[in-house]
Amino acid sequence: MTLRALPVTFFCFLVLGGAYLAGSLNLPMGSADRPGAGLYPFLVGITLIALSVPLFIRSVRQKETQQEKEEAFPKGKDLKRVVAVALTIVFFIVLLKPLGYTVCSAVLMGAILRFLGLRSWEKIVLISILTAAISYYLFASVLDVPLPRGILFS
Amino acid sequence: MFPFRGAFFSLNMDSLQGLAYGFGVAFSGPNLLACFFGVLVGTVVGVLPGIGPIGAMALLIPSTFALGPTTALIMLAGIYYGSMYGGSTTTILVNVPGEAASVVTAIDGYQMARKGRAGAALAVSAVGSFVAGTLGIVALMFFAPPLAEVALKFGPPEYFALTLVGLIFLSQLGGGSAIKSFLMVGFGLLLGTVGMEPISGLPRFTFGQLQLGQGVELVPVAMGLYGIGEVLMIAERITGIPEMIKVKFRELFPTVAEWKRAFPPMLRGGGVGFFIGLIPGPAAILSTFASYALEKKISKHPQEFGKGAIEGVAGPESANNSATAGAMVPLLALGVPFAPATAMLLGALIIHGVQPGPLLMSQQPEIFWGVVASMYIGNLMLLILNLPLVGVFASILRLPQHLLMGLILLLCLVGTYSVNNSLLDLYILFGMGGVGYILRKLKFDMAPLILALVLGPMLEKTLRQSLFMSRGDVWAMISRPLTAALLLTGITVIVLPHLLRLMKCIHKPSKG
Repeated sequence: MTLRALPVTFFCFLVLGGAYLAGSLNLPMGSADRPGAGLYPFLVGITLIALSVPLFIRSVRQKETQQEKEEAFPKGKDLKRVVAVALTIVFFIVLLKPLGYTVCSAVLMGAILRFLGLRSWEKIVLISILTAAISYYLFASVLDVPLPRGILFS
Repeated sequence: MFPFRGAFFSLNMDSLQGLAYGFGVAFSGPNLLACFFGVLVGTVVGVLPGIGPIGAMALLIPSTFALGPTTALIMLAGIYYGSMYGGSTTTILVNVPGEAASVVTAIDGYQMARKGRAGAALAVSAVGSFVAGTLGIVALMFFAPPLAEVALKFGPPEYFALTLVGLIFLSQLGGGSAIKSFLMVGFGLLLGTVGMEPISGLPRFTFGQLQLGQGVELVPVAMGLYGIGEVLMIAERITGIPEMIKVKFRELFPTVAEWKRAFPPMLRGGGVGFFIGLIPGPAAILSTFASYALEKKISKHPQEFGKGAIEGVAGPESANNSATAGAMVPLLALGVPFAPATAMLLGALIIHGVQPGPLLMSQQPEIFWGVVASMYIGNLMLLILNLPLVGVFASILRLPQHLLMGLILLLCLVGTYSVNNSLLDLYILFGMGGVGYILRKLKFDMAPLILALVLGPMLEKTLRQSLFMSRGDVWAMISRPLTAALLLTGITVIVLPHLLRLMKCIHKPSKG
């Protein structure tokens, strides 16, 4: 049997709820008239578990044909595109401090243009550089956001 | 001699005085500018499928730090009701709803466009939005103050019950599986407990990360779910530039017959929308369905619906606008938002150090009346923006999607970073974007998550205060009349659908 997304998701919520509940038990529970920091997380944890257990069981029992309708995750090229966009975002976040905003934003823009279908490399390079320059000026100089400058411009 | 008349008169006078004061606030330079900027952004995000009012509000909350709370709220509210205007443009011209609240408009709006009446449909939507939006604000102005007066008597148990019931309503009415929505509520409440605990300041679930002590912020979560999540969805099924129906300016005038048919639905839509707006839930969306159903039911020619009936455009497009005014009532009178968009407004108020609640109106009248007055002005601006300039906004749709998605991503990343200059927020943004994408694919509703994240701390604080007040006696806490009534309503909303299904099963045993 292949791993299906819906049961896996509910299972993740179940694990999350369990870990969270365990964490709440380490907090001071207080008494009924003076509830401590742990009471409310304890209740939330119980709720999460109480909801995800029946959902998990039901989703495991469900027929696979029925599930396929609910889980139309992309395949092939479509999937590659989504992953590529996600990786671009990760790249931006991880390298923002070391490389600086201008480099990262240009690469982000270029990559998105390329992945989402712009063919001409000249256009990609031109738009990316323009985006980086204009947005840096707008955010850093006009709106005063302290964006990292990175190695090239420090 | 006429004590009641006196009381009524004074209430009216208060409202009018308040409104006059509010116009004074709203007409100041920065507020007028903020209002214009807000409705402009609202129209643009309304036109664009993919980014909606919630993402846009999350994006702009950081940039309001330099402004006062009144100016900030005027701008953010402008995005909210402005997006309802913009949504219809895309729907009618491209047959792709710009906003979820315009889905119903697509039925008859696109049919009208195909018959060459796109201009009329656009004009009727804009005018209907204006008429109903204005009606909604009038109702807001008269409903909110008395409600706040009643709410002054609310203690922590009432607030606890109100918040809980609000979350229950949203999960039940949101469409899709209610139990999945409840799971989202639980997830949102969980995220809301990360950080310093509100009473003793004890750090919870921070894994020793100092930055997490401030809690999981609303901006990265909302921007992740609604911004990054949407970009990933669009990346999956990227299409070219949508084909658009061209409209000439002189076609914008509906005929006299069309006006006559469109006007009553506008008023009815305005009424329906406002009252649905008061109920916790995705008010704007529900109101369009309700208005469409109503118009079809009372129409003399119901067979035209679905084939380009102007009532099917006028009613829903009016309803979603006055629903936004209705949704503002619980926020401004009680300090409890019942819709994701008003939850964003509450988040903004809290960031600006404003304590929302029934005292807001008397203690900070400039916020309440300023925002109410700005909504009148904003609706007028929107009418001008969306009627003669509709072509300009429609041309945004000609921007290639790859460029648009790149810009939206950049805005999400920089917007989130600018809140605390923190990389951690960026990781939360990305994480929530991924979670949002996957959960959306699995047909989870994101609204309960956002609302629970915002309401979670309030729920915990009122629960603990209530228990403290009643000395740990849960029965004493929930048996207060108003609390009990609210909780019973919540239970009814959960049980009723199951009960109805059960009754159907008993009546038709063969089909079970």
